This record gives sequence, C-alpha cells and structure tokens, in this order.
Amino acid sequence: MSFVTDVVKAEEGEIFDVELETDILEANRRLATENRELLRRYGVKAIDVMGAVGSGKTSLIEKMAQALKKKYRIAAFKGDLTTTVDAELIGRHGVKVVAITTGKECHLDANLVRRALQKIDLGSIDLLFIENVGNLICPAEFPLGSEKRVVVISVTEGPYMVVKHPFIFMEADAAVINKVDLAQAMGVDVKNLEKDVKAINPKVRVAMTNCRTGEGITEVIEALGL
Amino acid sequence: MTSQIVQCVLQEAGKNQAKKVLEVYLVIGKLTFLGLEQVRFAYETLVKGTVVEGSKLHIEERDGVVKCPNCGYEGDFQYKDDPVYHFLTPTLHCPRCGGLVEIVGGKECLIKSIKLVV
Repeated sequence: MSFVTDVVKAEEGEIFDVELETDILEANRRLATENRELLRRYGVKAIDVMGAVGSGKTSLIEKMAQALKKKYRIAAFKGDLTTTVDAELIGRHGVKVVAITTGKECHLDANLVRRALQKIDLGSIDLLFIENVGNLICPAEFPLGSEKRVVVISVTEGPYMVVKHPFIFMEADAAVINKVDLAQAMGVDVKNLEKDVKAINPKVRVAMTNCRTGEGITEVIEALGL
Repeated sequence: MTSQIVQCVLQEAGKNQAKKVLEVYLVIGKLTFLGLEQVRFAYETLVKGTVVEGSKLHIEERDGVVKCPNCGYEGDFQYKDDPVYHFLTPTLHCPRCGGLVEIVGGKECLIKSIKLVV
C-alpha cells in the first residue's frame, strides 16, 4: 500500500524520483485498528497474550478460561509456527479455538488475526484470548487490535528478562511473573522483576502466578479488568 | 520485513514501468527490532534478478523520541542505570517531571523515496 505524492510523466531514459513515504509497520497498525473496531462492534474483549518461549502463556489462558467460562462466552486464537498441540490444550476446556500457524513468522500480525476473526461467529462470544508466538521482541512492533496486551515471563528465564526486553513491557497493560513456586530454586527475586517492570513502564499491572496450581489467576483477571 | 520493502519497491517500479531502480532511500527507527546489517544483507539477496538489482540502498536511522503530555518534554528516553546490568534500560518516565511519556518517534520503517529509470 503506498500513495505516490510526486510523479512527473517522464521521457524514456529519464531518471526521476518517486516520493513514497510508505511505512511498512503503519500498514499493520491500520489493520489492527480495523480489527479493534470490528471487535468493539460485537462487544468482544480481546486480550493479546505475549511472552517468552515456555513461560506459561497457554497455561495462563487455560486457567483463565476455566475461571471465566461462567461469566463470558470465550474463544481463543493460538499462534504458533507449527503444530496445533497448544490449541488442543486450550480447546479441551470447551472453548472454541482457531489455531494460527505462521510457518516461519515469529510473531502474529493484524492480517493473520483478521483472517482468523472471519472463522468465528463474533456474535456468539464476548471474550477472545489471542496467544501470540513465544517471543519478547517482535510482537511489540505488531499490534493486533486487542483491547489489552499482557506479557508473560517466568522465573526459570532468570533475573534479567525484563531489563533485556524493555520495549515489549512499554507496550503492555499487564505483566505476569509465572512459576513463582520455583523462584527459590532459581535464586530469582520476583520482587526485583516486578520493580524492573514498573521502572520501565509504571502503568503496567503486575501479577505473580503459579499457572499449574492456579495461584494468582484472580489477580491477573483483575489486572486485565475482566 | 525486508521482503515487504522489496515488494513495495518492485510494485512502484512496475507502476512507473521502470527499466531499473537506481537508488532506494529507507528510514528505519532505532526502536524497531530491525538490524541494519541484516536488512542490507536480505535486501541484496532479495533483489537479485529483478530491476532493483544493483541499486544503491540508503538507510537513515531515526532516534527514539518520547513526548510528555504532562510537561511537554520531547526528546530521548530517561534511562535506568544499574551498574549490575552494565547497560542502560530505557523507561517511560519523563526525564523532566517523572510523568508517563508516549513514544512519538523511532518506530518507523519507511520507504522514503526511490530513484528510477524509465
């Protein structure tokens, strides 16, 4: 998509400049805005769940789906390079799941989400979890059109994961520090991780969880305004 | 990303029925995840066999810019300096008043202009 602002009809062999001013990332932002408007029209709250590889994004969604299925009609999109393993895990909670396999792309984009939105009956749901590909770098550049964005990290990634990835926390509305039961074994101080998040972006709401047992899920639900 | 850039240039070249693209001017913000060397390398690979092959790629880097709605500050981030980490972490605190800033620059991935021969 581009809009040419300055073209002069040229003679053969003539050299001329074409002013483009085309921002590749802007195209995704525009699609994300369209997605957001579509979701709003149907009264669907969408949550973009980002996070490190293996941090517990799928487990978090499973636990939230279990806790919220009486309050909301829920669906989920699951982004992954390949396999539908995680999508199946979420699906067994009685939630409609659309698996989005990106192939090689290391993040979801607004276009893939737009296509997935066509696969569900938006009138039949009011809450949509979009699980992004495990990655703390690229998703920050690609808004999807969700209402809220949550970043999941876990203590098993060590004490520096937050400061190493400031930009994704700048985009986040909430952050989840998972696997707190292993903090002592890892020698990680979860309070320091929370401080790091708040230092980068003071408006992020932080919750500590153990997604295997469900500890802390209520706090996440509250942090996301659900 | 580079593939999309090349696609866009090829589209424009096609529209103008260009015989050759001589130069491409990109503006890439420092806050994007793009590595300039990787973009150059991918670019050179992707344009082979097209009218863009042999073109000169200019990349202008733009700094990250934040703006404070509270006090009007506009400029670089405030960084958190911790000697333990040996690097500076950018934050969303305003360096002037401590309020929450918005990012207003440094996120571009722009094809500014191209020079072609018809």
